[in-house]
Amino acid sequence: MKTAELNKELYSSPVGNAEEINELLRRYGVKFGIYKNGIFKEQLFPFDPIPRIITHDDFTDMEKGLVQRVDALNKFLFDIYHDKNIIKDGVIPENFVYISSGYLPQCEGITPPNNIYSHISGIDLVQSKDGDWYILEDNLRIPSGASYPLIARELTRVASPAAFSSNSIVDNRNYAKLLKDTMDYSNCGGINAILTPGRYNAAYFEHSYLAELTNSVLVQNDELFVEDNVLYHKTYTGGKTKVGALYRRISDDYLDPLTFEPQSLIGIPNLMEAYRSGNVAIINAPGNGVADDKGIYYFVPKMIEYYLGEKPVLKNAPTYLPFYEEDKEYVLKNLDRLVIKDVAEAGGYGVIFGSELSDEKLENMRQTIINEPRRFIAQEVIDFLDLPILDDGRQVMRKADLRAFVLSGEQTKVWASGLTRFSRNPDSFVVNSSQGGGFKDTWVLSR
Amino acid sequence: MKKLYFHFSTKLTFDNYVHDHSFALRCIPPETPSQHILSCELNISPFVSAMQTVDSFGNNVTSSYLKKEHRYLDFEITGCAEIDCIAQKTDFMPCYSYQSKYTKPDSALTEWYSEISSGCTADDPFERIKFFSDCLSEVMTYEKNSTDTATTAAEAFAIKKGVCQDFTHVMLSVLRMDGIPCRYIAGLASCDGETHSWLEIWTGEYWKGYDPTNNCDISDDYLVLSQGRDFGDCAVDRGVMFGAYTKQLQLIESCLSESSFY
Amino acid sequence: MGTISIEHGDRLFWLGRYAERVFSTLKALEDLYDNSIDSRPKCYTDFLAKFGLADTYGSAKIFFDSFIFDKENVNSVAASLERAYDNGIVLREEISTEALSFLQLAFDTLEKAQKSAKGLRLSLLPLEDILFGFWGCVSEYVYDYEIRTIIFCGKSVERLDLELRFKSDFGKVQHEFERLCRHLRNVPKNSPYRYNTGQLCRLVEILGSEEDYLKLSDKAITSLGKLFEAEKIPVGVNV
Repeated sequence: MKTAELNKELYSSPVGNAEEINELLRRYGVKFGIYKNGIFKEQLFPFDPIPRIITHDDFTDMEKGLVQRVDALNKFLFDIYHDKNIIKDGVIPENFVYISSGYLPQCEGITPPNNIYSHISGIDLVQSKDGDWYILEDNLRIPSGASYPLIARELTRVASPAAFSSNSIVDNRNYAKLLKDTMDYSNCGGINAILTPGRYNAAYFEHSYLAELTNSVLVQNDELFVEDNVLYHKTYTGGKTKVGALYRRISDDYLDPLTFEPQSLIGIPNLMEAYRSGNVAIINAPGNGVADDKGIYYFVPKMIEYYLGEKPVLKNAPTYLPFYEEDKEYVLKNLDRLVIKDVAEAGGYGVIFGSELSDEKLENMRQTIINEPRRFIAQEVIDFLDLPILDDGRQVMRKADLRAFVLSGEQTKVWASGLTRFSRNPDSFVVNSSQGGGFKDTWVLSR
Repeated sequence: MKKLYFHFSTKLTFDNYVHDHSFALRCIPPETPSQHILSCELNISPFVSAMQTVDSFGNNVTSSYLKKEHRYLDFEITGCAEIDCIAQKTDFMPCYSYQSKYTKPDSALTEWYSEISSGCTADDPFERIKFFSDCLSEVMTYEKNSTDTATTAAEAFAIKKGVCQDFTHVMLSVLRMDGIPCRYIAGLASCDGETHSWLEIWTGEYWKGYDPTNNCDISDDYLVLSQGRDFGDCAVDRGVMFGAYTKQLQLIESCLSESSFY
Repeated sequence: MGTISIEHGDRLFWLGRYAERVFSTLKALEDLYDNSIDSRPKCYTDFLAKFGLADTYGSAKIFFDSFIFDKENVNSVAASLERAYDNGIVLREEISTEALSFLQLAFDTLEKAQKSAKGLRLSLLPLEDILFGFWGCVSEYVYDYEIRTIIFCGKSVERLDLELRFKSDFGKVQHEFERLCRHLRNVPKNSPYRYNTGQLCRLVEILGSEEDYLKLSDKAITSLGKLFEAEKIPVGVNV
C-alpha cells in the first residue's frame, strides 16, 4: 500500500493531547536555544500530535533509494579526495567541485576509517500530491534533528499507549544503538566522544541527549588535546583518556585552528594531524560538505549511475543549473514560477520563490543570475502533499518535509522514522526549525 | 645545480608563562625533484616530543604539544640541500586554479587585472606572468611593516604597499583570474635573514617558479620550505597557547650559504 | 565512560551543592514559617542574621516571598534552583535525562506555588517530593562511582556548612561530618576533590567534642571552605 492511499482517519488522528506532550517535552528539556536581539532564550520546538505515517511499501522503496544515494555520496567523497575519476570522466564539471565552499584541499589524500565520510546523513525529502517522494537536499555536514522524534516517541507511547497497540508501528527507539554501532565501527581505539560548541548552541539538547543514550562523553574543545598525534580527553585527576571516535557537532572551519580558521576558539589544535595519522575517526569526516553542496545535488543521480551502475530509485526535484547555457535560458524565462536557491546558504536562508518577487526584483534576480550563474540553482516548485496539523485545536493543512537519517557503519542503514518538520505559516514552503516551524513524529508501518 | 647549506631559526618569547601550547611547524624542506635534502636537523626548545606527517599539499608537518608552563619556544633547522631549479616538479592539485582565502580579488583588483590583461599580447603563461609582474612593480612598492600576516591580496593592493607575502598574493590572484594555476611558496632565498615567499605557475606539465617581489626568475638560491594555495596553507609555524600573556615577540634568523656554517 | 574532565567535575560538585542548598534552605524556611505563625512573627530576622543581613523586608510575608521565589535574591530557593539547573543541564549524560527532568519539574512547581491560592507550605509540599525524586534518580541512574562521589561530596559540604551556620545540634553536625568523611575517602588522589589534610585535621579537632564545636563553629566553617585547597608541599625540611 502506498502512503497516499492511507485511510483518511488514521492519517489525521492525533496521538495523545498536544498540550500534555508538549508539557512532557518541556519537562525533559527538549528545548531549542535561540538568540533574539543578542539575548539567549530557550524555546520549545513545538510538537504536533498528528504523526506522519509512511506505509511499509513506501518505506521499503525509500530505504532502497536512500541507501543507494548515501553509498554513492560516500564513494563520490572518496573519489574527490583521491583519484577524481568522476571529473576526469566528465560526469561532473571540475569547477562545481572546487569552487564549492565544502571542498577542503587540506583533506586531499586522507582516507578516513573504512572509507566512510558521511556517517550520519540527513536527507530531506518531500512527498508530492501524486505520492512520489522527491529529494530536496542532502545534509552531510552535521545534520541535526534525530533526537526530537526519538524522545517524542518515548513520550507519546506513555501518553497514548492505545495508538501503538492498535497500529503496527516500527519502534524507532533503536536510533541510539544505530548511532553507537556507527561510532564503534569507525572507532580507532578509545572512547566515543561527542563534541559540542556548548550549552548555548541551538542543538545542545540533542548533543547531550545523544551522548547520554550512546554512553559517549560529551565534550567541549578545552576538555580535549592532541599529543603525539593522538586525541585525548583530559581527566580531572590530571590523566588522559584516548578518544577513538569524535562525533563532532561543530563545522569544518572551526575544527582545528592549526589547519583551518586560525581564529577558531572552539576547535582542537592538531586534530587534523591525529585524524590524518589514523588515530581518531571524525564523524562526519571533514570536507564532506562538497557532496551536499546545492550545486552538486544536481549531479547525485548521475553519481549513482556512475559509481553503482544503478538507476536512481528516488528522484531529485527538477533542477536547473544556470551554469549551463540551456538551463540558464530556461531559468531566466521561467523565473517567476521557480524556486531559486543560493548554493552558499543553509537552514532555509537564501531560498527565494520567484512567484513572490515584484517585477523589479525579478529583473534584479535575473541580472544576478547572469553575473553569477554558478551561485544559484533553480527548481520547479513541487506541489507538496500537505499534512494535517492541529492549530489551536483545529485541523489545518500545512507544508511539511521529512528528514530521513541514514547511518553508515558496517552497513548503510535507514532509521525507520525521521524528523517531519512543518511550517506554521499556511503560505510558507520553508519548514526549517530555525525559521519557527514545528515537528511531528514519523511512523513507519511494519506491514 | 648548487649545494646549499641552510639555517633557519625562530625564537618566540612571551611576556608571561603560557601552557597547553599546541603547534604545527612547516619548516623541514620537502624532498622534491628540484631539491634533494642531504641532511636536515630540527631542534625544538624547551624539549618536547614531536610527530612528523606530510600534509595534503606535500609539506612536512611537525606537530607537538607543550603542556607545561614555559615563556619561550625556539626552533631551528640546519641542513644541506642540492638545488636544481630546472628539474621539473609535477605534483599538481586542481585547487591551485581557483582563488583562495587570501587571493580572492575585490572589484579594484579585478578592474586592474582587466586593464593590464588587455595590454598583454603574450600567450605563453610565463611571458604573461613577467608582463603582469612588471605592471605590479610599477604600482606597488615594497615596504616593511605596512601589512601583516592576515593581509589579503585585495587589502595590500588597496594600499599599494607590502612585503613578499603581499606581492605573491596579488600576483596569485591576477594569475588565477587569468586562468593560470599557481601556488604560494614559503622558503628561504639569499641571505636576507628572513623567510621569503614567491610563487610557482603550472605550465600544464610542470611547475615553474617566479619571484614577484624581486620581479625575477627563481634560481638555485631558493630553498622551498612549504607550498600551498596561499600563506594560510604555508605558515612556517602556527600555534595555540593558553596563559596570561599579553605580548609575544618572534625573532627570525635565516641563512643560505654555499659553504658550511661550521 | 569513566572519564571526567575538570569542567564536568566542577559542575558535578556544584550541582550537588546547589541541589542540597535548595533542599536545606526550603526546610529551614519551612521551620521558620511554622515558628512565625504564632510564637514569633519576627523570627525571620534570626535567619537573616546568620547570613549577616539586615532586615530590609519589614514583614514576614515579604521575607518569605523573597527567600523562596525571588531569583534576584541570591540566597533564595529559586536562585539556588536556577544554579542547580544551570549545572545540571550540561551533565545530562552523567546524571540522566530523568534526574534532570526533576530539576525542571521543581522549577515549574515553584512557579505554580507562587501563584497558588493554597497556603505556602501546602503548595510547596510537592517540591520536597520532587527533590527526593532528584536524589533518587542520582542514586538509581548514576553508576559511575567517581561521579556519584563528586556529587555527594558537594551535597555533604553544603549540608554541613548550613548546619554549622545554623548552629544545629551537635548530633546532627556529627552525623553530617561522618557522612562527608565517608565520601572523601572515595575520592581518588590527584582529584580536585581530594581533601586538604591540614583543613580536614582542624575539622576533626573542632567537631571532636560538643564543647569545641560550640566555641569554634566559625573556624570550622572556614576550614570547610578551604577543604579542597591544594596542599602546600613544604619546600625545605627543618630538622
